[in-house]
Amino acid sequence: MSDNNKLLSIRNLKKVYRTRDGELEALGSVTFDVNQQEFVSIVGPSGCGKTTLLKIIAGLLPKSEGEIIVNQDSFDPAREVGFVFQKPLLLHWRKVLDNVLLPIEILKLDRKKYVDRARELLNLVGLEGFEQRYPNELSGGMQQRVSIARALIHDPKLILMDEPFGALDAITREKMNLELLRIWSESKKTILFITHEISEAVFLGDRVIVLSARPSKMVGSYDIALERPRALSQKATPEFGEYTISIYQKLEVV
Amino acid sequence: MKAAITVKNKKKPRRLSQRLQSIGAVFLFFLVWEAVVRIANINEAFISTPSSAIAHLLFAQPDANYHWQKNISVTLYDFVLGFLFTAVGGTLIGILIGWSKTIQKAVMPLFVMFNSIPMVAIAPILLIWMGYGLKTNILIAFLASFFPMVINTSAGLASVEDDLLDLVRYLNGSKWQTFWKIRLPSALPYIFSGLKICTTLSVMGVIVGELIASDSGLGYVIVNAQLMMDTPPMFASLIMMSLLGWGMFLIVSIVERLAMPWAFKDEIQ
Ligand SMILES: Nc1ncnc2c1ncn2[C@@H]1O[C@H](COP(=O)(O)OP(=O)(O)OP(=O)(O)O)[C@@H](O)[C@H]1O
Ligand SMILES: [Mg+2]
Repeated sequence: MSDNNKLLSIRNLKKVYRTRDGELEALGSVTFDVNQQEFVSIVGPSGCGKTTLLKIIAGLLPKSEGEIIVNQDSFDPAREVGFVFQKPLLLHWRKVLDNVLLPIEILKLDRKKYVDRARELLNLVGLEGFEQRYPNELSGGMQQRVSIARALIHDPKLILMDEPFGALDAITREKMNLELLRIWSESKKTILFITHEISEAVFLGDRVIVLSARPSKMVGSYDIALERPRALSQKATPEFGEYTISIYQKLEVV
Repeated sequence: MKAAITVKNKKKPRRLSQRLQSIGAVFLFFLVWEAVVRIANINEAFISTPSSAIAHLLFAQPDANYHWQKNISVTLYDFVLGFLFTAVGGTLIGILIGWSKTIQKAVMPLFVMFNSIPMVAIAPILLIWMGYGLKTNILIAFLASFFPMVINTSAGLASVEDDLLDLVRYLNGSKWQTFWKIRLPSALPYIFSGLKICTTLSVMGVIVGELIASDSGLGYVIVNAQLMMDTPPMFASLIMMSLLGWGMFLIVSIVERLAMPWAFKDEIQ
């Protein structure tokens, strides 16, 4: 594969937190590449540094060592990143629609041009009719879906998602998975997707990266050769089961 | 949608009954006051009944003229200006302090020092410097009430949930955007509680000025009436002062509701 195909290269990334009780090594040494328009799932035990990894990629945390090489030709890392945080992080003084439009204001784009898109995205995440509500009138799962719409509003090339569907019920979660795959394939985005759910990682990803416990290293990378577009029925296939089991066993060992 | 409508319908009578309750409590207080003075047969020169105090406000009295209209408007004017001055000035200083740690470290000890001096003690010196009148009273009102305004504003700006700032940072937004879109709105509840504290302190500041030296205002009425041992107008002045503070408090509460509609959506469950 040519280098031009790469969007991100993460090389020996290391993160040490300095806390009052001394140093805490979160990321040991993480190395992997992300190709353009690739859907990469990341799984790993709780506390292994997945959120840390995503925040370093987004420029929200300084790294301790290592490199993140961005293919600047293909996208502008300052404007074309979308981040779905682990918590919804809605601004409780803004109505749902205005929350979704926040990135537009920050990027100083013309708000009016994006209002329709914001409504569409809200429909897409199943929140039609809630545009004028305040976040504290929504459930936790609904809030998280607003934050997904917000992360997509400025049409980012790279989307970083930190356990975005953790607060949803099984049915809504499946629906959101399918929607996400549809958006991804239609608009040619690159997605880094963190989850605790191995079957979700397999179902969505072109590749599943497995991180070890802290200090974390990449201990496995599984190319998922399931046919696209993915359908729920694929979850019942033996291939799907094999992927899931081998990733599960990997996680159990580490 | 239906759910929202029924909730609203439930709210209204409750809000109304709460309002009635608080009006009732005030009314009851005056009633008890009136009854105690009458039943215990207390000399009116000692404690006046609320009815004769209010009568003093409303009707011309044969024995003395306290020029209520003029004196009330002087105090009202000083108070409103003093309050607005503090509200704006205190908030701006609070923002400056919240903006920069250096400024905060430099001026905070000074503020604490000034704030520790009782206003009644500074007022006489200010009067020597500035003479009595509008400017002095506004300055005293400002000095008496700016501190909570400053502290509340800067504490509010600091109270923001750190993770929210990431929303602006990951898109490389500016410090201004962080301030306008995240910090200031999350500081609003603090700013409004500062304003509420400020209402009563401003009344106090203005009255202190009038008590110490002035030729008009409710404080002046009290000094004058005291010389003549005429208690009803003194109580009348006290009632007026509390009405002023109360009125401003109400206005602040209404503005708060308008400025922060999200906070009052479902306050009554
Ligand atoms: N700001 C911080 N200061 C100090 N230590 C931190 C900080 N943030 C995270 N850590 C530590 O770094 C480690 C990794 O945290 P991180 O949030 O990245 O984990 P995670 O993989 O996202 O976990 P989870 O799946 O539970 O969300 C944890 O042990 C945590 O205690
Ligand atoms: Mg996490």
